[in-house]
Parts: sequence; C-alpha cells; structure tokens
Amino acid sequence: MSYFAFLEEHGVTLLLGSVTTIKVLICSIILYVIISMIFGLMRISKNKVIQGIATGYIEFFRGTSLLVQLFWFYYVLPFFGLSLEAFWAGVISLGMNFGAYGAEIVRGGILAVPKGQWEAAHALNFSPAKRIKNIIIPQIFPIILPPAANLTVELLKATALVALVTVVDLTFEAKQINSITWLSAQAFGSALLIYYFMARFALVPFLRWLEVLAARKVGKEHL
Amino acid sequence: MEMGWRWDFAIEILPGMLLATLNTILAAGVGYAIALVVGLLFLVGQRTPFKFVNIINREIVEFIRSTPLLIQLFFVYFVLPQFGITLSAWVCGMITIGLHFGTYLSEVYRGALEGVPKSQWEACRALNFSTIYTYRRIVLPQAFPIAIPGMGNYLVGIFKDTPLLSTIGVAELFHAATAVGGYHYRYLEPYTLVGIIFLTLSIPAAMWVRKLERDVNISQGKIKK
Amino acid sequence: MRKIYKTLTVLFVLLFSISTVNAKTLTERLADGHKLRLGFGTAVPWAYAGDNGEALGFVNMIALTVLEEMGITEHETKVFEWSGLIPGLNADRSDMITGGMYILKSRCANIDFSDPIGVFGDAMLVPKGNPKGIYNYEDIKRTGAKLVTGAGFNTVEAAKKYGVPESQMLLVEGEVGILAAMKAGRADAAVQTWFGGKEHEEKTNGQFEVTDPSKMPKETMNVVGIGFRKGDDKFREAFNAALAKVMGSPKMMERAGKYGYTKAQLLTDPSMTTEWACSTK
Repeated sequence: MSYFAFLEEHGVTLLLGSVTTIKVLICSIILYVIISMIFGLMRISKNKVIQGIATGYIEFFRGTSLLVQLFWFYYVLPFFGLSLEAFWAGVISLGMNFGAYGAEIVRGGILAVPKGQWEAAHALNFSPAKRIKNIIIPQIFPIILPPAANLTVELLKATALVALVTVVDLTFEAKQINSITWLSAQAFGSALLIYYFMARFALVPFLRWLEVLAARKVGKEHL
Repeated sequence: MEMGWRWDFAIEILPGMLLATLNTILAAGVGYAIALVVGLLFLVGQRTPFKFVNIINREIVEFIRSTPLLIQLFFVYFVLPQFGITLSAWVCGMITIGLHFGTYLSEVYRGALEGVPKSQWEACRALNFSTIYTYRRIVLPQAFPIAIPGMGNYLVGIFKDTPLLSTIGVAELFHAATAVGGYHYRYLEPYTLVGIIFLTLSIPAAMWVRKLERDVNISQGKIKK
Repeated sequence: MRKIYKTLTVLFVLLFSISTVNAKTLTERLADGHKLRLGFGTAVPWAYAGDNGEALGFVNMIALTVLEEMGITEHETKVFEWSGLIPGLNADRSDMITGGMYILKSRCANIDFSDPIGVFGDAMLVPKGNPKGIYNYEDIKRTGAKLVTGAGFNTVEAAKKYGVPESQMLLVEGEVGILAAMKAGRADAAVQTWFGGKEHEEKTNGQFEVTDPSKMPKETMNVVGIGFRKGDDKFREAFNAALAKVMGSPKMMERAGKYGYTKAQLLTDPSMTTEWACSTK
C-alpha cells in the first residue's frame, strides 16, 4: 500500500503512541532534574559521607546499562516489595539513570561559578543554604543548560526503551504495526521521522529558548 | 516460584553468562572500530568545500543523532531484507552502532580539530606546508589528545548500549540473560548478574577514561600534575 | 528550600502508596475494583493486540468468553515479550497469561494453569518445497540445518531434549522474530506451533510452508492452559468451573473459530488434564 494509505490506517495509532512518549519524557525530565540538583549538590559537599553516597549513586547508575536497569526495575523490584506501574517503572529508571549524568553536569556548573561569588556571599553573612539557593544556583543555569540540552535529547531517545517493558509508546506501536502488517519500512520509518521532528523541531528549540532565558536573567545575554 | 535469591541457580547460569560477556565485548569493540571510521567519513563530509555535500552530510548526521538507536536497529534488521539485503543480526547491529556512534564521534573529532589554535594553521600556511603535512605533523598530533576523553566516553557508551542488540537477536550478555531467564522462568538472578557484570567492567573503564582526561589536561598545561 | 522538601515528600509518599506488592488474592482484588489484566505476547492467531490494544486471537476469545460467564466484563491488556510473560505474571504485571502457553512441567513449577483449552501440535516452518526435507528435530540434526525459534518457547526445551546442538539454534523474540529470521534467510527452518506456522505460511503467500505436525515426535502434542499465579487458586477454580460450561459451546467455537480454532483442537481424551501435563510434559 502507498505510504499515504499506511498513514491513513496507522497514523493515529502512532500519534497516540507519541503522546505516551511525550508523557514519559516530561515526567522523566522532572525527575531527572530534581535528582541532578540533589546529587550534584551532594557531590560537592564537604561532608565525606554525603559526598560518598552521591558518588556511589552516580557511579552505579552511570556504570550500568539503562536497559538492564529498566528490566530490573520492572521485573525484579516487585520481589523486594515495590511494584510500580510499567509507566512509572520506566519514568523512575530513566529519571534515576539520567539524574546521575545530570548530577555531574550540575557539579561542573557549580564549580564553574567564580570563586568571588562564594566569597562575597560569605562576606555578606549569607547562611550556606541561602548562599547556594540565591547566589550560586541561579548562576549555574547558563553554564549547565547547553550540556543539559544534549542530555535531554538523549533522554527523548532513551524513552524508546520503555516499549520493551510493555509501555504503549511510539516505539511499541511501531513494533506492533510491524508485527501485524510487516510494513517495516513504513512503520519504523514513520517512527524515526516522528522522533526526529520531536527532537529537532520541538525539544531543541525549547531548550535553546531556555538558554536565552537563563542568560538574560543572569545578565549575560548579548544585547 | 521461590521468591528468595537462589545461589545455586546463579552459579549454574554464571559460566554461560560470562561466555556471552565475551560476545558483548567483541560487539562493543567491532562496533566502536566501525564508528571510528564512519566518524571520519562524516567529518570529511562536513569539512569538504562542496556546499551540497556539507548540507547532505549535516542532515544525515542530525537525523541519526536525533533518533533512537533502538528504532534504527529495528529498521536495519527488518527493512533491509525486504530489499533483498539479508545480513545476519550481528552485522545489522554492527552497522547500526557504527553509524549511530559515528555521528557522535564526528562531533568529537570536530571539537578536537577546532581545539587546535588557529595560529597553528596559519603558521603552516606561512611556512608553505602541504595540507597532508599540516595534518599529519602539526594538527592531528595536537588534536588527538583533545579527542581522547570524548572517544573514551563513547567507547564506554557503546559498551553500555550493547544490550539493545538483544532485541534483534544478537547473542550478547543481555540476550543470554533473557534466554536463560525465559527458559527457567526466573529473571531475578540473570538480570542481577548482568548488572553486576556490567558494573565490574564499566567502572574500571570509566576510571581509565577519567585518568586519560587528566593526563590530557596535564599535557595541555590546563592543570598541574 | 522548604517548598522543595515538601513537594519531594509528597511525591515519595504518593509513589510508595501507589502499591507495594499486593498480598491480596486475585478474587479479593477484583472485588476491590481492580481490573483484570490479560498478559500475552504477539502470537498470531493465538493472542495478540489490536490497534487499540484490544485482545484478539483465539486464546483471548476463549478466555474472554469464560470471563463473561463468570460475570467479569472489564479487562485490560498487556503485551509482553514472550519470555517475560511468566516473570511478569509473578511480578504482578498481569493477572492471567493468555499467550497460548503449553502446559509444561517446568512452567508448572512457577505458575498454575487452568484446565486445558485444547490440544495443539508443533511443526516446522520451511521454505517452499522443503528443499532440505526437514520434518522434525532428527532431520535438523541430520542435515546440520540452522533452526530458529522463540526465546522461552516450549520448543527450546524440546529441541534440547531431542539433541539439537546449541550451535544450530538461533533464539529470537517471538513469532515476529521467527518470521523475520526466516525471511532474511538467517535460518533454514523454524520450529513453532502449527497454528503459528500456518499463519506464517498464509502471511507470506506460501513463500514458506508449514510441515505436517504428525511427523513431529508424538510427545510434542501438548495441551494449552491459561496461566495464573500460584496463590490465586480460588479464582482459578472459578475459572475452571466456567470453562467447563463454555468449552465447545457454539458461542465459544464461533468467537475462537474466527481465528482458526476448530473442533480438531477440542480435548477428546479425558486423561489429558492439567495435572497430567504438569507431571509428564
């Protein structure tokens, strides 16, 4: 059948799958941002224990394959008492995995803030918490957003893996259509195109806009 | 089904899984080698003066970089035979990984080349060095150290993406775990062992890459020894 | 900072209150309003999902007919990779397996099955004309042919039992993987259920043909049951009672018949029970 006929028949299914992909993406982004912040901060703590915990977490999640973590969360964790819906199992393993990478980016961002800022805050009698929250954190955004943008596009691509644990996303639907109709080129080709559009024409422009926003807020924008 | 961890089962399946790990390492190695070459091709396509080639190259690279490796694997595995090109799952996997990571590596190469100070290029022109001599004796030796950390990171990255090959039937470690888990109907020990094996291999690898990074930074004078 | 802590705590409490592994049985949970989850793979015509996730295939039809008889009208579907069906059931990812699972001793050690829903056989899938003359496992061994089948299929055990060396085996994911491997010439023959083979023969317009199941070893005639978690005995017994009423009824035969299930699959030998299969297969 022609591609147009294919789209007529299966286009809606693929789009519905994409909606799930987007849902997974948004939830994972929220989780990974939170985890990155927390563990990034923990990583630079002077307290050896806190730093150790953060390093352990980061090494563990960066050192194992995402697919293995995902399957483990889905199939093995229930035996330790935690049985989450497939969607949440996917979101949590994506969030925890990418949070580990994000933590390193956050750490790099914090370390890149000029030492003068820390000293000035100290001189002005800011408490450590206030210092971090009001002075340092706002300044790391222009620094961390570019690498974080790359990481987020990687996250979009990684969401495809949740199809292997029964989450009905774009990849899942493409596989289903392929297994029933054997129109592999159309099914997977369309999926590739949809991911491409999502990444290049929605996600990346949005992230670039965030970068501009962050730069503006810190006064670094070129006028 | 017993819920607790069964050591006897774990020990029973361990030898088979270690054997499959060799396959994983082989797959990562071959895929990486292909990616290194493909990356060079994409780099050349990017730097060539022919505008048309530039544009096509850029579009292809962007497309591959922006789409999931998993779907690319399915595409190559299912679609090519429909056009008469029948390749083993292994070859399909290697080609796809090579293409996918080749795009990343071309960016690493590009960044490394751009990291060489412009003055070097200008000096070469002033001294009338040929292009080949410029690259061979001046630029590449300086670019290479800059590229190493990125190249090392992607080697570890490829290694951690090898489980995706199991979805098209390549008999690497994750596939072995799924097969033995499916045969005995227990996923606990197989998947936990896979995780442990990965950790054992990739943490030293990551530490080695970080050491490389440090060495490069030292040699570049960025940090003190 | 305090706001962040607050939202985090709420998030965690929410997440963990969603569920911890349920100690309740299936009957109790259904009474609580939990929707029954059918777990299956993508195995046409046995059980597969439609475009909207609806349950299709004859095993699903039989299961749904029985469920209706039990008064259960609502259900959800979950599509798994075949090897994940049993681990998924045990990890509380589904409530019953309608993949079309043969009742085997090794499986009975991990889950319980309903009474049989029919008798089925395996067959080989070979290129048109069967150039290598392969009809069973012996032929595979003799010709040194490459045999493909699905991970977690009963045929993996069977091939091993009849001595097919591992070097000649190719394991792929489910029916889809099998056909892909055959079409790409990655294997000389596939072994699967006769129904699965017939479906592939039709799908490829005869490019591949399914061999005569009677040429396979007698023991590969198997019974299929619906899989349940051990511990959901109450539900399983109720299911069996309803199954007895529905089995062979015009309604069931008509619905399952749409996918190829015929009288030939009906159980005629009363000694072929679940207990028998669990201890001998």
